[in-house]
Amino acid sequence: MKKYLAIFRISFAQEFAYRLNFIMWRVRNIMQIILIFFLWNSVFSDPSRVVFGYDKARILTYVFGILIIKAIVLSARTVDVAGEISSGDLTNFLLKPVSYFKYWFTRDLSSKALNLSFAVVETTILYFILKPPFFFQTDVAQIMAFVFSLVLAIILFFGLLFLSNLITFWMPEQGWGLQFLLIVFTDFLSGGITPLDILPLVVQRILYALPFPYLLFFPLQVYLGKISGAMMWGGLLIAMAWVLVLMVALNFVWNKGIRKYEAVGR
Amino acid sequence: MDKAIIVDHLVKNFEVTEKKPGLVSSFTSIFSPVKKTVRALRNISFTVEPGELVGFIGPNGAGKTTTLKVLSGLLYPTSGFTSVLEFDPWDRKPEFLKQISLVMGQKNQLWWDLPALETFELNRAIYELPKRDYQEALGELTELLGVKKILNIQVRRLSLGQRMRLELVAALIHRPKILFLDEPTLGLDLIAQQKMRDFIYEYNKRSGATILLTSHNMDDLINLARRVIVIDEGRIIFDGALEELVNRFAKEKIIKVSLSQEDDIKRIESIGKIKKIAFPEVILSVPRSATAVAAAELLQNFPVADLTIEEIPIEDVIRKVFRGEGRKKLLK
Repeated sequence: MKKYLAIFRISFAQEFAYRLNFIMWRVRNIMQIILIFFLWNSVFSDPSRVVFGYDKARILTYVFGILIIKAIVLSARTVDVAGEISSGDLTNFLLKPVSYFKYWFTRDLSSKALNLSFAVVETTILYFILKPPFFFQTDVAQIMAFVFSLVLAIILFFGLLFLSNLITFWMPEQGWGLQFLLIVFTDFLSGGITPLDILPLVVQRILYALPFPYLLFFPLQVYLGKISGAMMWGGLLIAMAWVLVLMVALNFVWNKGIRKYEAVGR
Repeated sequence: MDKAIIVDHLVKNFEVTEKKPGLVSSFTSIFSPVKKTVRALRNISFTVEPGELVGFIGPNGAGKTTTLKVLSGLLYPTSGFTSVLEFDPWDRKPEFLKQISLVMGQKNQLWWDLPALETFELNRAIYELPKRDYQEALGELTELLGVKKILNIQVRRLSLGQRMRLELVAALIHRPKILFLDEPTLGLDLIAQQKMRDFIYEYNKRSGATILLTSHNMDDLINLARRVIVIDEGRIIFDGALEELVNRFAKEKIIKVSLSQEDDIKRIESIGKIKKIAFPEVILSVPRSATAVAAAELLQNFPVADLTIEEIPIEDVIRKVFRGEGRKKLLK
């Protein structure tokens, strides 16, 4: 455990070495929030208007919520795995008594902690400036289910991203392409751009069998109280099943991959 | 435990996709890649005693680095048996990894944007070193390598030589019993090379660690390795003492003569191959078996003031090995 604490610490220090980069990234996020706020604000200029079951308060909560959840779930350092495999830097880790999965999961967590702390501060400030109507969940059981679904989402995204990086073992030059595709798909299919419940029912059904909605949309719906009871438990079960599938797949592909690994790049 | 390393009938093949230059062929290679098997190691066997310092030599692509990679658990052997400290390297058990280290000339583990001390602290946690052992090793290593003053400087701001020495600290902080060094002096200036060599020698003596090193640097081998293993095209063609290599490999001897007066060079040529003439000195190379006859003939027929018979310098022998000429001569 102490190992991973040290990894958490050095990873944090590393992010701070690129302070300016990080600040730019946060500025980009703030701009995004302001943009989206004014967009939906004008769509719902009439406060009593309801679109796809969303009134103004709910849609703004959705938009703000998605941004915070994105900061938690989608901010990851695991994108660098492909680079390490193709450049041969993976060698450094294979030589040490450390689990490569846990190493990157820890680095993800440190990146998430940093991003989250900033996101919370930013959102609080923006909340007081823009004064949007915001929905606060008060049901403790719902909040706990939300936290649990968030943990599942973090693991799911880690698994998906890591798996897409492992293709580099077989195609050293193709690592970025698949990753890019995954991130674009994830953003759309997990509700990062629009709420998923505005899509046709058939599409929604199919989506719910896939891991994507459980990354962003599902946790937020649980928070908003739009998904609860049996439906919520069903969703959590599917997400857990996906976690299991991904972990098994990850182990399998990893073990195949390191046999192919050639530890190149002198 | 009697042997530190056992390698028995080790074979390692790589499968590579061939890519021809040009747009059309890059396109066709997506659909019908041309696979080729590269036989990096063809059945090699050797053992190493604890505390030995062994040098691997051979031309580029002979399989030296591949051997080190297999022994440190990075590469999965195609077939054969390997055992390091009685572990199978490929299992990469934590107890195994805590006792070995592989240092590759231009592979860095130091965190580029942070001071080296941060990496050392991280390694302390990863190798689960007790604070006292860590402090002791750190003190000793930084002293030996003369890097005490640069521990708190961002790695990116350091010179290559400084970085290499810090890399070595990072690789040795857990005091490995087995050390694999791949081209440890690559790219260093002469003084830094000497420092590195002194350190390796000292470390081997002090800690009794087993060291396997590959190098293209003549001085590394002559000053460090008592035993050398020559690898060429994935086969071991020589394994023994460095001096032995000369006897086995050099089929010729060198005769240096000092002439008291000028003479017909044509006549000297008939005795042996002239390597150098700088009057009054003439250097000849003659077949080993004909040395005595050639010397006698020289003394008899030429105005010789002085004559010495020498072995071919070890540098020349090793240089030939690097050029891949060892294969022809030693396999016969």
